Amino acid sequence: MGRYTKHPFWQSLAVVVVSYALIRWGIAYLPGLVGITSAPVPASVVLQYTAIVLVGVLVWVSDNEERWTRFKEPIHAALVEPDKKVVRMSMMAVVPLLVAFATFNNVRPTISAPASLRSIHPAPPTQITFRGETIVLEGLENPLREPDLEEAAFELGKELYYQNCMPCHGDYLNAGGHYAPGFNPTPLELRGSSTIAQLTESFVFWRIAKGGPGLPREGGPWNSAMPVWEDFLTADEIWAVTLFLYDQAGIAPRTWEEEGIEE
Amino acid sequence: MRSQTRLPAAVAALLGLSALHPSPAGAQDVERGREVYEQWCSQCHGSEGDGQGPAAEYMIPRPRDFTTGLYQIRSTATGELPTDEDILRIINEGMPGTTMPGWEEELSGADREALVAYIKTFSQFFETLGAPEPLEFPGAPGASEERIAEGRLFYDSIQCFECHGAEGRGDGEASSTLQDDLGNPIRSADLWKAWTFNGGSTVEDIYQRLRTGLDGTPMPNFSDLIDAGFMTDDQLWNLAHYVRSLSPEETPTPEEVIVVGQVAPGELPGQLADERWGQAESFYVPLVGQIIENPRWFDPSVDGVWVQALHDGSEVAFRLTWHDRSRSPDPGWLEWQGWVLDAMAPREGENLEPAPRPDGITVQFPPTIPEGMDMPYFLMGDGSNPVYQWQWSSVPGTAVKAAARGLDIYEPLGAEGLTSEAAWEAGRWQLLLRRALVPADPASELQFEIGVPIPIAFFAWDGDNSEEGARGSVSSWYFIQLEEETPPSTYMAPLVAFLFTGGLGVLVVRRAQRRDREVQAAAAGIVLPPEPRPQMARNFGFAVGALWLLFALAAAGNSVGGWAAGQTDVGFWWAVITGFLTIAASVALIGTARHRYQGPRKS
Ligand code: HEC
Ligand code: HEC
Repeated sequence: MGRYTKHPFWQSLAVVVVSYALIRWGIAYLPGLVGITSAPVPASVVLQYTAIVLVGVLVWVSDNEERWTRFKEPIHAALVEPDKKVVRMSMMAVVPLLVAFATFNNVRPTISAPASLRSIHPAPPTQITFRGETIVLEGLENPLREPDLEEAAFELGKELYYQNCMPCHGDYLNAGGHYAPGFNPTPLELRGSSTIAQLTESFVFWRIAKGGPGLPREGGPWNSAMPVWEDFLTADEIWAVTLFLYDQAGIAPRTWEEEGIEE
Repeated sequence: MRSQTRLPAAVAALLGLSALHPSPAGAQDVERGREVYEQWCSQCHGSEGDGQGPAAEYMIPRPRDFTTGLYQIRSTATGELPTDEDILRIINEGMPGTTMPGWEEELSGADREALVAYIKTFSQFFETLGAPEPLEFPGAPGASEERIAEGRLFYDSIQCFECHGAEGRGDGEASSTLQDDLGNPIRSADLWKAWTFNGGSTVEDIYQRLRTGLDGTPMPNFSDLIDAGFMTDDQLWNLAHYVRSLSPEETPTPEEVIVVGQVAPGELPGQLADERWGQAESFYVPLVGQIIENPRWFDPSVDGVWVQALHDGSEVAFRLTWHDRSRSPDPGWLEWQGWVLDAMAPREGENLEPAPRPDGITVQFPPTIPEGMDMPYFLMGDGSNPVYQWQWSSVPGTAVKAAARGLDIYEPLGAEGLTSEAAWEAGRWQLLLRRALVPADPASELQFEIGVPIPIAFFAWDGDNSEEGARGSVSSWYFIQLEEETPPSTYMAPLVAFLFTGGLGVLVVRRAQRRDREVQAAAAGIVLPPEPRPQMARNFGFAVGALWLLFALAAAGNSVGGWAAGQTDVGFWWAVITGFLTIAASVALIGTARHRYQGPRKS
């Protein structure tokens, strides 16, 4: 046993295999532990990270002359020693077969949709025309977020949300509406820290007012099902829904001061 | 405080005993329930629990009116109140096929139990009548062919078909006359879509619905048939098995790419009834109400279409299958149309009357295959980017081509080159559409290409549900991809890779072994003579020859394929390449065979 655990070749092999397993499955397992939904690690990332580990291991073994010689021992033995003939032959059969299989998988015709390069939060314009009126978005805050207006705005926003937005964005603002599975891309989840929590209210106003068709090209205006709400709602109504979204989901919008600090 | 009363319930739940009686609701529960209800339920069910929330008019079926004490999904006999577990189950899982969502993941267990307590306060019956007793049912017998067949007999004899139709697609004679207790139109369930059953899709769920009925709806219960000795409990289970057997095991999930299978030239099915459709893979595409542009439609009737598609290298054929309770226009459904319009339409500012309207479906493509994902707007295009459509309508019953630049803004392109055949039977439309890959007019029509994803989208209307124009069901963009024959190069590449890696391996091993021998010999003071390698050189020569020959064969394959597909230029040039490769291969093979080794070269 000790012969293997202390040997640089087998040590290196173990490091590479364990790292691969950790990168491939371990990372994806972590978010689940703290209650965040996880996703598989993309193949390209796995490849990159494993390659980095491999390079690191090679640097380590070749850094010391004696270690390098010992590292090569098993490889050399497999290549020349008469009693390793079985190992040698099977490697020479298995490796080319694997390469052939990988090549086949690469060149065979596959059925897949073109990759979508859709950007979820495309850059907003600095100003828009809303029902014929110019609205400057930059620096604009929600006019209804005033102590004496907020409560009524929330109630109005709630009513409008459930009449208009709920079928897609869901009762719980989690994109779980009964129409959501009918659309691709699926409607945006509004709660949580990754969507509107990252945005200013004026951005949200723009996205609601102009909908899918108002997206710039990189936003994929051809398949976003988000309606153009300026056709249905007034500016005040859109501000009220915007206010409702943040309050009901229990998140705060970004303010323009924060944006300023960031720049 | 609450945590104390909750603890035993939590323990019981852990042990799987929560089906027993939970602790009685305290005033605190009710108060907490009111808060949660106000935040998450009142917009549909109304602050008073009367089902009149601000969103109520945007949905059919309407939200439950809790003041009546009438619940659909119960483990108790018809007319009785539900148990707390019944209500909790609906809050947890929601009601599939309706807007009622499930809250198990969203709200804490305590909050959901508080909701049960609060909802019950809307109706005095819960207090006056006391806790209801759930009916005890025996466990489900396993499904079998015989049980399903016997279930089918009962389906016919106890007249489920009156409402659910001969084949169970919800198209029974009576289905156009059904209203719920509140006077709203209600559709008899489509038994082929168990995933839309309000009370769940398992055999046990179905059996329980048959025993307890769906109170507040026209769906009766069948316990009395057992009590009257007309059928046994076991036979009712058989009926439940039959109903379950109509739907697929799993809820179908849409695939992004619909594969258009390849058949031999001339083998494309030309008719709906062609048996070969049975072998074609079927892809489900869900449809939802068009609620994006005015006038919106919140009560769509068609909720999905199954797509099958085949091509033979020169033509493509689609068979679309969708469920529709009537063959519109059917005068028997005019009254129903009135109810639906009363319930749904006034909000969009329209004043519509029941009228004979046809059924229809439109298949959309971009006019040319787009680069990447750059497509026209999925809702029938827009002013600058039109879509290319095949529009079929039950009146006159044939399909035509069109270019659309927005909902209802289209320019007809005639019907030349597009064949169609449609049939409605027992609550189901089937439509065959067939066209050559190369269109009659390439300037305005899509040319189908083999092996590349092509966007496709659907739009459907049920005329007897008052649907036309923007009021219908839509899908977003999916893709079709015409299957291609695996080109010979697909097999060549791995072969070359195999030979190359294998050869490399042999070289590496040989070199290592020779070096090893040299090192050992040097250690022993012997000088090895240089190794003559006649055999290896010979083998190498043969290998090269064989490789050329394989390339030549692949090229010949391409050439034959080219001629067969009518692309003479492709066929010709591959033939030329085949010639060159054959010459190269023969030279290598014959040359090696004739060459004799004459001992090491003198240097
Ligand atoms: C988007 C609207 C909507 C929201 C929000 C909603 N419901 Fe419902 N709910 C419905 C509809 C619609 C039905 C009736 C479906 C039917 O009749 O088939 C229903 C039915 C019910 C039923 C009756 C089940 C039965 O057996 O008849 C209960 C209980 C219920 N909802 C509880 C709740 C609770 C609790 C909440 C909040 C956590 C809630 N609902 C939120 C739409 C909604
Ligand atoms: C008078 C008409 C009528 C008859 C007869 C009838 N049903 Fe129904 N059934 C309905 C209606 C309406 C619904 C839909 C209720 C709803 O959506 O809330 C329904 C729903 C169902 C459902 C779905 C339950 C769920 O969880 O949503 C099943 C299963 C079903 N029926 C089976 C049967 C069987 C089996 C029979 C014969 C034994 C039968 N029905 C007889 C009208 C009828």
